[in-house]
Amino acid sequence: MESKHRIQITVNEEEHDLLVHPNRTLLDLLRYDLGLTGTKEGCDEGDCGACTVIVNGKVMTSCLVLAVEVDGAAITTIEGLHQGDELHPIQQAFVDSGAVQCGFCTPGMILTTKALLDEISDPSEDEIKHYLEGNLCRCTGYTKILDAVNNAVQLLK
Amino acid sequence: MKRFDYIRPGNMADAIAALQANDEPYLLAGGTDLLIGMKTNAVKPKCLIDLKGIPGIDCIEYDNGFKLGALTTVRDVEVSPLIREKIPALSEAAATLGSIQIRNRATIGGNLCHGSPAADMAAILLAMNCELQMATGNGAKTMGLDQFFTGPNSTVLNRNEVLAQIIIPKEIGQFKGIYLKHGPRKAMDIGIVNIAILLDADVSSGFCNQIMIALGAVAPRPIRAKKAEALLNANRLTPELIQEAAEAASDEATPISDFRASAGYRKDLVKNLVAKGIDQILNSKDPS
Repeated sequence: MESKHRIQITVNEEEHDLLVHPNRTLLDLLRYDLGLTGTKEGCDEGDCGACTVIVNGKVMTSCLVLAVEVDGAAITTIEGLHQGDELHPIQQAFVDSGAVQCGFCTPGMILTTKALLDEISDPSEDEIKHYLEGNLCRCTGYTKILDAVNNAVQLLK
Repeated sequence: MKRFDYIRPGNMADAIAALQANDEPYLLAGGTDLLIGMKTNAVKPKCLIDLKGIPGIDCIEYDNGFKLGALTTVRDVEVSPLIREKIPALSEAAATLGSIQIRNRATIGGNLCHGSPAADMAAILLAMNCELQMATGNGAKTMGLDQFFTGPNSTVLNRNEVLAQIIIPKEIGQFKGIYLKHGPRKAMDIGIVNIAILLDADVSSGFCNQIMIALGAVAPRPIRAKKAEALLNANRLTPELIQEAAEAASDEATPISDFRASAGYRKDLVKNLVAKGIDQILNSKDPS
């Protein structure tokens, strides 16, 4: 009853073999078991997008995913984006555009942008807004974030 | 979250057996409603049966009509080129649910089985006359979606039944559809009123061959506005008749007042949105 399950996952290209209780969320696994605190806990009910990670190429709110559900999956968190000492172009675009204030939403915002640009390399403003609907920011008013996404499109060309 | 057992069956028979063998089991699809309920202890499963390990339960098949596996994600429904081409209103309704993070996870079957009167997939599928195929302990069984909901967050599903497939009849392809979701926010919220309309009409004469109107979030379960439909079927869609039908639809709604909206406001919205929806379908140059 309620025994731990063995899962094997790849996080930021590093393989992990873990024993988890079924009630462990992917968010808590990343933050507390793997120490990857770049993934933030905001609302804890899938509304704010601060805990967004990429699972097998798709963005998800990790607070609403159980660790046991992602056995075998490849996961990307904000810690996995940089290339050596260089920021990922999307991260650089957020810095250059001043799209970060308190920074709490930024990891989720950047990962959702990555999933967007992997899917649509040159999105329209409507497509950007539709894709980023689930990432809330209480500081920037979103204008600078839209600028950052557009700048990232240019940097990635 | 309280502790629970986790089972991931590899086929439907094992899923049904696990349902019957365990205390307080819950079926897990995308989990976007269930996990929130578990975090607040509104639901306390002792055992979660994850259906995602069942092969083929998340497929979109087209053979004039559509067969959608119950665990097809809402995002897959939204972006399917076939659905966008043949029944775009379903894709448009899917695009209004939650966020991309939620749609990547939430499933069409989970949205129905959660039983919310405001479920985005419920109203549009109800208007599409869809049928549900259930796997049961005694073989498969089929029923209309109109028989499925019994009240807020409750359905007819028994302890030994699992929703396997959603079947959209082939005739739906000849209808034009629209999904209108009204609320204070454009994203990340359930609707105050959801309206789905499927219309088969002669555009030049305005003659209505058949119309289906479904209403969400205005009754204990998603409903069809049957009186409004009866007024419009096999009639010419004059502005006066559309107005009369919109008022009939409003009369059929039995909403509650809550923090989102008052019952009276919801009834007014039904009237306005039904008329607006029919109008938009009739005037759409690029029919959906």
